[in-house]
Formats: sequence, C-alpha cells, structure tokens
Amino acid sequence: MSLRHVTLCYGSGPGAVTALDDVTLRVRSGERICILGANGSGKSTLASVICGLLAPDEGEVVLAGERAMGPNGADLNAYRRARRRIGLVFQNPEDQIVTSIVEEDVAFGPENLGLPSEEIGIRVARELGRVAMSGYARSDPARLSGGQRQLVAIAGAMAMEPRVLVLDEPGALLDVRGRCGIMRVMEQLKEAGTTVIHITHFVDEGLAADRVIVMDCGRVVLDGAPEQVFSQGDELAARGLELPFTARLARALRERDACVPWTCDEGELRAALAPLAARAAAAGGGPRAPATSHCGDAAARVDRVSYSYHGADGRRALEDVSFDVARGASVALIGQTGSGKSTLVRLLCALEAPDRGRIVVNGIDTSGKRDRRRLHGAVGYVMQHPERQLFAETVLEDVAYGPANRGLSDDEVQERCARALKLVGLEGREDASPFRLSGGQQRLCAIAGVLAMQPGILVLDEPTAGLDPRGREQIERILDDIRRSGTTIVRVTHSIDAAARAEQVIVLSEARVLMRGTPEEVFAPAYENVLRDTGLGLPTALRWAMALGLQAEPLTMEALVDCLVGEAV
Amino acid sequence: MAFKLSLGQYWPSESILHHLDPRTKVGGALVIMASVFFVDTLPRLALGWAVALALVALSRVPAGKVLGSVRAALLMLTLLSVCNLLLVRSGEVLVSCGIVTITSGGVRAAMLYSLRLVVAVIAAALLLLTTTPTELTDAFDAALAPLSRLGLPGHELAMVFSLMLRFVPTLADDASAVIDAQTARGGGLAEGPLVKRIRSVVPVVAALLAGSLRHAEDLSRALDARCYEGGAARSHWHPLHMKMRDWVALASMALYVAALILLG
Repeated sequence: MSLRHVTLCYGSGPGAVTALDDVTLRVRSGERICILGANGSGKSTLASVICGLLAPDEGEVVLAGERAMGPNGADLNAYRRARRRIGLVFQNPEDQIVTSIVEEDVAFGPENLGLPSEEIGIRVARELGRVAMSGYARSDPARLSGGQRQLVAIAGAMAMEPRVLVLDEPGALLDVRGRCGIMRVMEQLKEAGTTVIHITHFVDEGLAADRVIVMDCGRVVLDGAPEQVFSQGDELAARGLELPFTARLARALRERDACVPWTCDEGELRAALAPLAARAAAAGGGPRAPATSHCGDAAARVDRVSYSYHGADGRRALEDVSFDVARGASVALIGQTGSGKSTLVRLLCALEAPDRGRIVVNGIDTSGKRDRRRLHGAVGYVMQHPERQLFAETVLEDVAYGPANRGLSDDEVQERCARALKLVGLEGREDASPFRLSGGQQRLCAIAGVLAMQPGILVLDEPTAGLDPRGREQIERILDDIRRSGTTIVRVTHSIDAAARAEQVIVLSEARVLMRGTPEEVFAPAYENVLRDTGLGLPTALRWAMALGLQAEPLTMEALVDCLVGEAV
Repeated sequence: MAFKLSLGQYWPSESILHHLDPRTKVGGALVIMASVFFVDTLPRLALGWAVALALVALSRVPAGKVLGSVRAALLMLTLLSVCNLLLVRSGEVLVSCGIVTITSGGVRAAMLYSLRLVVAVIAAALLLLTTTPTELTDAFDAALAPLSRLGLPGHELAMVFSLMLRFVPTLADDASAVIDAQTARGGGLAEGPLVKRIRSVVPVVAALLAGSLRHAEDLSRALDARCYEGGAARSHWHPLHMKMRDWVALASMALYVAALILLG
C-alpha cells in the first residue's frame, strides 16, 4: 500500500481546510504501524483515504495492490476491489454494529461479499474465537461492554479476510481493560500476517508497533521506529502529544541529574535504575504524605442507598451504598463498567430518588420531587460525552440555557455566560454554532453550559474520555481552577492515575462500595489483587516502585522520581 | 432508563418456534391476529387461548418475559374492557347504581373483546421474542422480493427496516441521556401548561436530531467499510428453506382456522 504526494481539502474557496498536505507513505505487507497525532492533525482523514472510503484531491494512491488513483484521477472500480481487502474499525462501537445479534453481525461482511453459507459459518466461528467472544455469539451487542463490542467489530472486519486492518482510535471510548483487550488482539493479528494500521493518540500504544508515524497539520512530521520517534520528546510535545510513561520517567530522572539512559524500553530503564533503587530501598520508605482529612460539613451524604431499575429482573444497580463527600473535596469514583457508577451519579445529581436509604445534598433530601428540582443546577452534572447534548444555534444560547431556566435576569445570565466561557477559554466564540467547533471545543462548550449554573458541587462522568493529551490537560487545568474556588468535585474516571490525584477515592464493584479512603489508603500494594479482580489496578508509578523493590509507595510520577533521586541530590 | 422499549426484544433459546422459518412465523402470526376478529363465542375464545398458551409453551420463553413484553398492551385492553363494561347496554341489568349500569351484555363484551385481543397481542409478542431482527428482515425481504423484480428497492427497504429495529434502543438511550442532562440544568421535559410543555420539547428534539445525524454518518461509513452495496450480490449465511416442520406448522394453522369455523 502506498500514498504519494496526497493532498485533500474539505470545502472550497477561502474557507477550505487542508486535511492532508502532500502526504507520502509506504506500508509494507505484514507491518504494524501506529499513526499518532492530536485531534485535528488529519489522522482520521488519512484513515479514510487508506481504507478507500475517501479519494484525495491530488496524488497517487495504491491500496492493497490496486492502483486506485493515478494522475488521471480516481478509478472507482479499483477502489471497490481494494475495499474488499481492507477492514476498518473505528471509534464508536455503538455505530458500527448493524444487527442485534453478535454472530449475525460478524456474518454481515462475508454476506456482502457474496460468500457461500458454509464458508460464512466457518469464518464467523473462527473470528469470534480469535477475539475470545465465542461465548457471546448469540448475545445482543447492546448488552455488551464497549470493549466487547469493539472486539465484535474487529471480528466483523476480520471475517472479510482483509489484507490490511485499519483501526481508527479503537480505544478512545474504552476503559483500561477494553484497551488492553484490543492491544492483545492486534498483536495476534500481526502474528497471523495481517498488516495492522493503528491510529491513536495514546502514545503508550505506539510502543508495540514496528513503526510510528506522527501527523500534524495534515503532514507526516516524524516516521521511524518507536524508540527513534519517542527520543524526540520536544518535537512530540510541540505536536500536542506526550511521551510514553517510561520515556517521561527517564526524562524526569535525567533532569534531576540521575545517571540513566534516554530510553522508552521498560526493561532497559528498570535495569538502569537498579542501583538507584537499591539505595532508595536501603534508605527506607519515606513517611507517606499524611492523609488530608476533611472535617466540617458534608456537601453530600449518601446513607445506605439501594436502587434498581424497573424490569431489571430484581438485580440491584446499587446495594447498601454509604459515603460522605466533604465540602470542597475532590472525589474520584472508580469501578468497572456496570458497577453502578452511572446510577450513583444520577442519584447524586438528584435525577432520581433511591429506592431505599437517603441521599442528602446541600442539606436537601432528594426523595421529594420538588426538593430534587431545587437541587438541579446547585449540583452540576457533566455527563459522558457532554458535547452530544449540544442543541442551540449559537454557543452563547447553549450556555445560557441553564441560567435562563433558573429565571435569572438577562444581565445576570449574560454575566454568568461570559464568566463560564472565559473559564473554559471560549471567549470570543459566543456567536459560533456549537456544531462547527472542534471536538475538544465542543466538550468545553458543554462544560461551560454546566458551569454557568455556578454549581457548588460538580459531578463529572469521564470528562476527558476521547480527548487528546492537549485536550485532557486543558480539562484538568479547568477542574483545578474550579476546585480552588471552593467547588466540590465528584469525578467518575477509568484512569487510575487520575484517581490517585484526588483527595478521596471510592471504589464501586458489583453495586457495592468495595473500598473508600484517601488514595494512599486505597492504592496500597496489599490491595493489588483485589483491585485487579475488579478490572482496576494500581497507579503506574506505584507499580514501578514495587517492581524496583522500593519501600516507599509513590502514587505519581513526581513522587516516584523524588523517591529515587530525592536523597541523591 | 426512562424509556424501555420491548420492540425487537429477542429471547435466545433452542425451541421449535425459534427454529421455524421466519416466513412461516410471520404468516402464522398474521393468521392468528386476523382470526381473533372472528372469535365471537366462548368456545372459539377458548380455542384461541388454547393455541396462544400452547405457542407460549412451545416457545420456551419464560412466561414472565412474555408477560413483560405485552404489559403495555394489557393495560390498554383493561381500559377497553372497563369502557365496554360501563357503556354496553344490552341483555338483563345486573347492577344499577346511579349513573352506573352494568348489564349482562356489557360483562360479555368486556370479557370477550379484550380476551380475544390478548391472543393477538401474545402472537405478535412471540413473533418478536423468537425471531431475530435479521430473520425478520429476511422474511420482509422475501415478501418484498416481487418489488425488486419490478426494479423497486425491495432489498434496500428490508435493510432500512432492519437498521431501524437495531437503532430504536440506541436512540431511546440517547433520549434519556439528553433529558437527564437538560433536567440537571433546570430544564428537561416540563410539566404544566401545554405551551410550556411543547416549548420544553424543542431542545430535546434538537439534540436528538443532531445525535441521529451523527449515528447516520458513522453508520454509512461502517456500511461502506463492510462493502454493503445493496441487495443483488449479497449471499445469506442462513438462506431460507422451508423444512418439514414449517409445512407441519402451516398445516396446524390451517387446522386451527378450520376448527374456528366449525366451532361456531
């Protein structure tokens, strides 16, 4: 497969956006390639071109041996033939499954190819076996987790026996366990000889590839083996990407004058760290940071709460859940898909009353409908993918929806909107259509709509999911600002490393509270197995410390670096 | 969540009903649904119910599940039967108290008309519970095949039908998420005067519409990537073949209709 001098613009005239700018790329058969880039770097457009779903404006395109586009323009028949040998899996597992039964969906592609019935049966069984989903052959995909659905989508693409499989951010909307599952399958596919092209903005996933390509502004800016590409940290940072954890650790240690090589190979760095680790271990574990305890009144009190959905066959979504959220605290709520996190969040936001038990928010019991309505707005709720809730014609109108519902004066509404938009950095875009903003900006706009209510408690469900490093950093910064102004923050997250930075951690598992406490209490080596059984794990920094045999239990990379070189400096 | 739809709620099992050709099942269900309108005596009603209960037993779908998927319809029918009870004035008067008069004709109408419709509702529910949307589409496809011969998009209509079944629950989830988000911002579907209610629907519908367009765009990408090019060149994993059991089932249907006529 090869692209030569490929250029593609969206729109025409002065408003045209160049998505691909003179891209030249050769992919050898059987190679595993990772294309990295921030949002808007043109990597998704590149995926569409590679899959034969989009013909560029200029350039030469050879796909799976077919000359699809030459100097004389696109050859639609060649495109059609090429598409039959290229599989695509993209971001949203919801929208790429076309039937309501797993095995029927895997059979859909082979049916389109007009294969005989026996052959389809063989391929469906083989591909479901490959992604370890044979047990779910007759299930309804809607009942599967996002990660499982993505595996079904991969099986569906592989059942067409493509020579090339393109995965366009397959893990962007998944939890850690789902992402691991997909990385494992990619490894298997490569061993089976399939060319794999993986598009992502999780740099750590690039380490497993044979070759890494970095895109920015529609151009290929870096192209080489992972260690070669990741050695150019400044270059990556300028492109809105970060380094893999290993490389970041090596870099931080070198900045503190530790004698370690510049590497992104985990084993190599670990070996180089052995002497430092031995010294740090001998020095004994430094005292752990004292747990910050919040006294005073609780912003929210959850007392022995149970809840089940109608028609859920009596299965409880929440069972005897109790905890307090101190005013001004930051709380991380973690747990696997289906552990009851979303239900708990809905109850906390007073969208529903518990079946049993009491939830008191800001001193108001949520069991009465009128009381619940008083809480709407006082508790801000940023749900998963809040940008999907945008509806108004302009950014300002959308942000003003909440305050206007409160019946505030026009001046007050305007003032609150201005403040919220400034907080998220969208000032000056008031009159733009929210649907014309970039993905990251849409999310910020939706968050501004909640902040304009000036909530005392802010509940967020996966606020950084699907964003690139730059977008994630921006959201973290905004949340820090809000917290410093005294807002209580409850955050549902899949990221253990993000949870380790909260003041209080609540672990939900199978509708119950499994653990709660400060991050230091919850993320302790002793609980490693318990956490792993619930599909979670320990923070990366702590796993490193344990592997190095340190006594100390650092939860963040900075703390880990302190442990290793603190005394040495 | 807020919306739970029973449309397309397939219940996987290995019963004889599950294994019947979908065309047989759709045909059979239509026959039963049409036949209930000719049920006007107790023996005929008993026959209809016997067939309905026998089918539930044959389907091996738990009775609770069947009940769950016909609950909404039962509620409607109960209302209907209360109306019949109070409004039909024929036969002898049983109870008379103020404006409420209950007659024997009313009791008969209340029982008969609702109970016979339950048979039709059960037949429809069993069809959806034992037939996968794909099979339904295949049956639909077969029924529309004559259209394709005339050059009309029969296969494509069947595909649209199947995608509709597939996306109803997705859109219902979207709707409850939108309503949640707007409620948390002090809005959402309002109660009170009609004008206020209608105005509160606009933001919900706008957000839903934007969501549907996003689904449609993704879906077209998925269909392209999987080489869907319309009906002609497609093959079927499980091509439809009428088997012995299908002919037996159709014969049983004919027997049922004959018995219904004879029972008169």
